[in-house]
Amino acid sequence: MRIAVCVKRVPAPGARINVTADGRAVDAAHLGFTTSPHEECAVEEAVRLVEAHGGSVTVLTVGPPAAEEQLRYAASVGATDLVLVPVADDGAAWDPQRTAAVLAEALVGLEAGGGTPFDLILFGNESADSGGFQVGVRTARALGRPIVNGIKAIEVSADGGSLVAQRGVDDGLEAYELPLPAVLGVKEGINLPRYPTMKGRLASKKVALATMALDARAGGQRSVRLHRPEEEASTTEILGHGPEAAAAVVDLLSELGLLSEAGQ
Amino acid sequence: MAIDQETADQIVDTVARWVDAEVAPNASAFELEDAYPDDMVAQMAEFGLFGATIPEQYGGLGLDVSTYARIIEELSRGFMSLAGVVNSHLIAANLITRFGTEEQRVQWLPQLATAERRGCFSLSEPDSGSDAAALRCKAQRDGDEWVINGTKMWVTNGERAGLVALLARAEEGITCFIVDKVPGKTSGGITVSKNIRKLGYRSLETVEMTYVDHRLPADRVLGGPEGVGKGFQWCLQALELGRVNVAARGVGVARAALDAALDYAAKRETFGKPIGQHQGIQFKLAEMATKVEAARLLTREAAAKVDRGERADMAAGMAKLFASETAAEVALDAMRIHGGNGFTTEYPVERYYRDAPLMIIGEGTSEIQKMVIGRALMRGDRP
Repeated sequence: MRIAVCVKRVPAPGARINVTADGRAVDAAHLGFTTSPHEECAVEEAVRLVEAHGGSVTVLTVGPPAAEEQLRYAASVGATDLVLVPVADDGAAWDPQRTAAVLAEALVGLEAGGGTPFDLILFGNESADSGGFQVGVRTARALGRPIVNGIKAIEVSADGGSLVAQRGVDDGLEAYELPLPAVLGVKEGINLPRYPTMKGRLASKKVALATMALDARAGGQRSVRLHRPEEEASTTEILGHGPEAAAAVVDLLSELGLLSEAGQ
Repeated sequence: MAIDQETADQIVDTVARWVDAEVAPNASAFELEDAYPDDMVAQMAEFGLFGATIPEQYGGLGLDVSTYARIIEELSRGFMSLAGVVNSHLIAANLITRFGTEEQRVQWLPQLATAERRGCFSLSEPDSGSDAAALRCKAQRDGDEWVINGTKMWVTNGERAGLVALLARAEEGITCFIVDKVPGKTSGGITVSKNIRKLGYRSLETVEMTYVDHRLPADRVLGGPEGVGKGFQWCLQALELGRVNVAARGVGVARAALDAALDYAAKRETFGKPIGQHQGIQFKLAEMATKVEAARLLTREAAAKVDRGERADMAAGMAKLFASETAAEVALDAMRIHGGNGFTTEYPVERYYRDAPLMIIGEGTSEIQKMVIGRALMRGDRP
């Protein structure tokens, strides 16, 4: 299988995110960066599919030159080809439409260069920073390929011509059969990404990194202002330890109306 | 191989993330039960840590000692016993790399690098610890073979090992043998005792091993025929790596204790404010943090000296002495800051407190380190 995974460099989740004084951007001065978590799972899924079916995993990103770090990380866990579409840091002008258009052009270019289309293109369900849920869908549309988001399981058919992708819904699972080539947006939890081995880390330095100079028109989405919500204060009350805590827990559950009539 | 700083940082960061996610939250549960952390060791093998300092051409990572020491610090911050799992393995590999014949390197190092064969190092005896030159384990020639008889103590990883770097006394002097064995309780004339119960440093086996007429082919002498009688001087050099390892462990445990104390001092309140706001606690935290940083810098300097190929016995001795004593002091201070909670198994500081003495004693006691440093000073060496 020839698989492409589109990833995004984002501030490390869990970090305290500050906004610049003008309220227009994230203050990156003391931030660590990582691959968006859904996309880290997408890379892992691609590597697993290739381990099972053979093929290659191309990881590409539209991002600043520093996003090479995220591409190298992908190589350290098994990605075979790395592509960076460098962007100047001109902030809000990079809306989902512009990113998707550039990605689509990059993918078409890579397919032409490689002689075959990507059987599967994976996105994270949404990015960990802007969370727009837009880029994967817009890219798939530009390529004229089917896409399903929210995917938690992928099974490729024996003949390699289609796949079944599952996603969770409120009352169960939905399964979609898609002809290949196709596009999927995967969610964290589809797998547990492996840690890179030390050899993988060392080898990732030697993987060739291609750069593609591309650009497209933005779709018109404009960032007005970023706002950091006040942190919600929370308190923790320890109701007790061991069996002695049981009565207090039952009282609390009852108070919250979480115990059924039959259970009381 | 000297790797670039960025790659070294990434490698250390990978281990640190794993330690945070998988090791630290589970370490006490394993340690209190003295249960072997199979999954953690398997992940360490997957990472390639059993080949950390083995040269690349023999299947290892070829990391420099500076990077290795940082990895050991991270492992020890989560669970010090894990550092012991790789330490004696890599001392054995280090002996073969530095003093083995090319045939021996090709035969043994690739298996050690992948952990397909685990290694251990066996010097101490019931009546020979710091006075290692007094060892009695005997190696006698018998035709083309060697016959080993004796008892060895404190063998870390002895049961699971498939290779022992064994120091035994031949007629010509102390000699290092590469003893291949089947992992388990017995192999040929080797019998492994039950795991010795310890104050801390649990979850990995520390055993007594008895050799009764255990026979070895002639090619098991480290360094070939010329290696007979050279084992002790080689072992002292290989122990430099071991002492940097133990120093890094001390830094890791001390750091874990400091982090735990800082966390507790921010949350625990007395007299209406977090105890970290009281000057008495702040002074203690300041002293702890200063010692941890000093221990780290001494350890890094010793590792850098080894990497530069310089004589490092004094630097390694200083690092090991200071870092191990720091671990003990900082662990006790962390326990004081935790008050009664620190004396319970609900908090990990009691584990740091029990683990620290191992580093004061193992790989040469603090007194031995002072002898090494003192002798180096008297012969004219200066820090």
